[in-house]
Amino acid sequence: MEPAKKHRIVLQPIQVELTAPEGTPLRDLLFEQGVEFPCGGRGRCRGCRVRVHEGKVEVNDAQRERLSAEELKNGWRLACQCSLAGDLVVELRQWDAAILADDSPFVFEPRPGLGVAVDLGTTTLVAQLLDLTTGRVLAVRTALNAQARYGADVMSRIEYAIAGDHLPALADLIRRQIWSLIEQMVFSSKARRGEIRDVVLVGNTVMHHLFCGLDVEPLSHYPFESPHTGLQQFRAGDLGWDLNPEAAIRFLPCLGGFVGSDVLAGVLTTRLSESEEIGALVDLGTNGEIVVGNSAGLVCASTAAGPAFEGARISMGMRAATGAISQVAVENQRLVCHVLGNAAPQGLCGSGLVDAVAAGLDLEVIETSGRFSNGRKEWTIALPVELTQSDIRELQLAKGAIAAGFRILLERLGAGVGDVKKLYLAGAFGNYISRASARRIGLIDLPIDQVAPAGNTALLGAKLALFSGDGEDGSYVQLRRKIEHVALKSDAKFQQVFVDGLAFPQPSHVQG
Amino acid sequence: MTLFEEMRQAIIDGKAPVAKELTEKALIKGIKPADIFPKVIVPAMDEVGHRMRNCEFFIPEVLIAARAARACTDILRPLLVDDAAARSVGTVVCCTVKGDLHDIGKNIVSMMLESAGFRIVDLGADVSPDNIVAAVREHNANLVALSALLTTTMVNMKAVIEGLAAAGLREQVKVMVGGAPVTESWAQSIGADGYGKDAPAAVDLARSLVAA
Repeated sequence: MEPAKKHRIVLQPIQVELTAPEGTPLRDLLFEQGVEFPCGGRGRCRGCRVRVHEGKVEVNDAQRERLSAEELKNGWRLACQCSLAGDLVVELRQWDAAILADDSPFVFEPRPGLGVAVDLGTTTLVAQLLDLTTGRVLAVRTALNAQARYGADVMSRIEYAIAGDHLPALADLIRRQIWSLIEQMVFSSKARRGEIRDVVLVGNTVMHHLFCGLDVEPLSHYPFESPHTGLQQFRAGDLGWDLNPEAAIRFLPCLGGFVGSDVLAGVLTTRLSESEEIGALVDLGTNGEIVVGNSAGLVCASTAAGPAFEGARISMGMRAATGAISQVAVENQRLVCHVLGNAAPQGLCGSGLVDAVAAGLDLEVIETSGRFSNGRKEWTIALPVELTQSDIRELQLAKGAIAAGFRILLERLGAGVGDVKKLYLAGAFGNYISRASARRIGLIDLPIDQVAPAGNTALLGAKLALFSGDGEDGSYVQLRRKIEHVALKSDAKFQQVFVDGLAFPQPSHVQG
Repeated sequence: MTLFEEMRQAIIDGKAPVAKELTEKALIKGIKPADIFPKVIVPAMDEVGHRMRNCEFFIPEVLIAARAARACTDILRPLLVDDAAARSVGTVVCCTVKGDLHDIGKNIVSMMLESAGFRIVDLGADVSPDNIVAAVREHNANLVALSALLTTTMVNMKAVIEGLAAAGLREQVKVMVGGAPVTESWAQSIGADGYGKDAPAAVDLARSLVAA
């Protein structure tokens, strides 16, 4: 058989040039460049769209369903539905992710040897190599989760794992990828691999299962409870990692439902369980996670907020990357925008979206129902970036889900919003979002001086666990017993609280 | 404004007490209950659907409008018993499929179908194929409307269609599907009779399926 003909593909604006055989799926080529496929490359969303400037790629039914005739005419395609049939020049809609690594100081008990802490996120991975004697970080590596090409969110990844019996392949993929990050860190820091004593991983329940090779089927449907949420321990040989055979590798236990050890680590970091005052930890993402409580006990839940905070399903939404409007403020009745990377505005990322809607409410361009006033159809934030009516609706769904989850958890504790003295916002989005805007749209109903961005609490908690000793004696074990998981979907009131919380608060309420 | 216009407006604005009061007033004036459906409730909810599609109305507005429409139909239904118009457009069994508890979308669709004159057998959320088949048989339904909001539960729609076929009921009912991850091509691939991309589309689809 003759070798397949090769073609050249140029990716703009990153100016990357690749060569690949005819028939190569664009998905494979683009994934390596950091392009994400939110629906897992099934042609169900528009997240991977690219614009073909030179060359030809086929149009199929899935693309006709998702793209307008005009978009198709202008060269827009869904990358996941195309393969290489000739030389191409395409423009990408996505850029590399900005990943939050953690460099905050922490308290520790020195131990001999080296340790590795890993925050295994659905989208991104962060790993740190630490000197356990000094607590110093010797190296950091971040990467996009290699499983993401099989589904950007946890549900599509579960579906992929179940549908084709792909669980072993997914587990193998992530184990190899993390091992590669560890190898890179060892190499760059000139550390001795044999001195690694302890590896601690944290992640949500699905990431936990997919790393540990546990059946995800129970997580695919109501009541979303898996029987295998406990601490998982491995030896290097189990994972095919070339480490000291004595090294302990631990994936910390999940809290229940989709709430995983990343949240447990967050509670460890923020010390919610040590204070008499009621505190909360909120991680704003596609699955929003919330923990509320104090030394008497804590409750946690996850709530399906949808992808609006990540800029997905927003007409001109994008990730927090070059060209994204990340802040919007009102000065003298006019909008002032901050664009990332000192570039021309191209879209809105999550923090910009929250700001824009808050500004719209202040300027009375948007009514508290969420409707544009005066029959307006869209609102220009900064040319060419516009906010549409449906964008506001997406944000309402997201903030309504978080606000309803928060309210129901507080009720479980017999408390009200006024009893919460401190709220920590975890994760990258929590770091960038304006607290005032979050309050204005009713996402968080607390005075802003009681709200604090807390950074990557998952990674920091994983590091704390490195110093909390082997096996079941670690403080996270006791902590886990103090946190009760609440299944919001089983709460009869959830739907009503959610619908009631879709509107935006009145201005007087927010100022008062 | 005529009385009918006032009634329509009360429904669109979601004012259930006003809608109820105006309905009673209409009946006292001798207006036939059967006339109120095509002249008030159906056009009012069509307008709600139109505004929803334009994103002008959102879930809360649609739900309160549907509640107002229900305030009218609750008064009218018992009066329709012997009337020829009481025969509904069709009987719809609706639910979210096994494993799926997301039922806001299903509730909106069922209320809009009800306002459009369908008789609704709402089985709720997380319903097994067997229960759906049993309900179709018991109520002699001619439509099944299935909703799923998760890619992992969407597959259960196929089991419902297979269950209906196995029970020998597939010829009797049309099956329509909807929900965020559902697409036209998915609907075709599982052998459903139609896909509604939103609640107003589901109403149009239901009308065309029973007419076919």
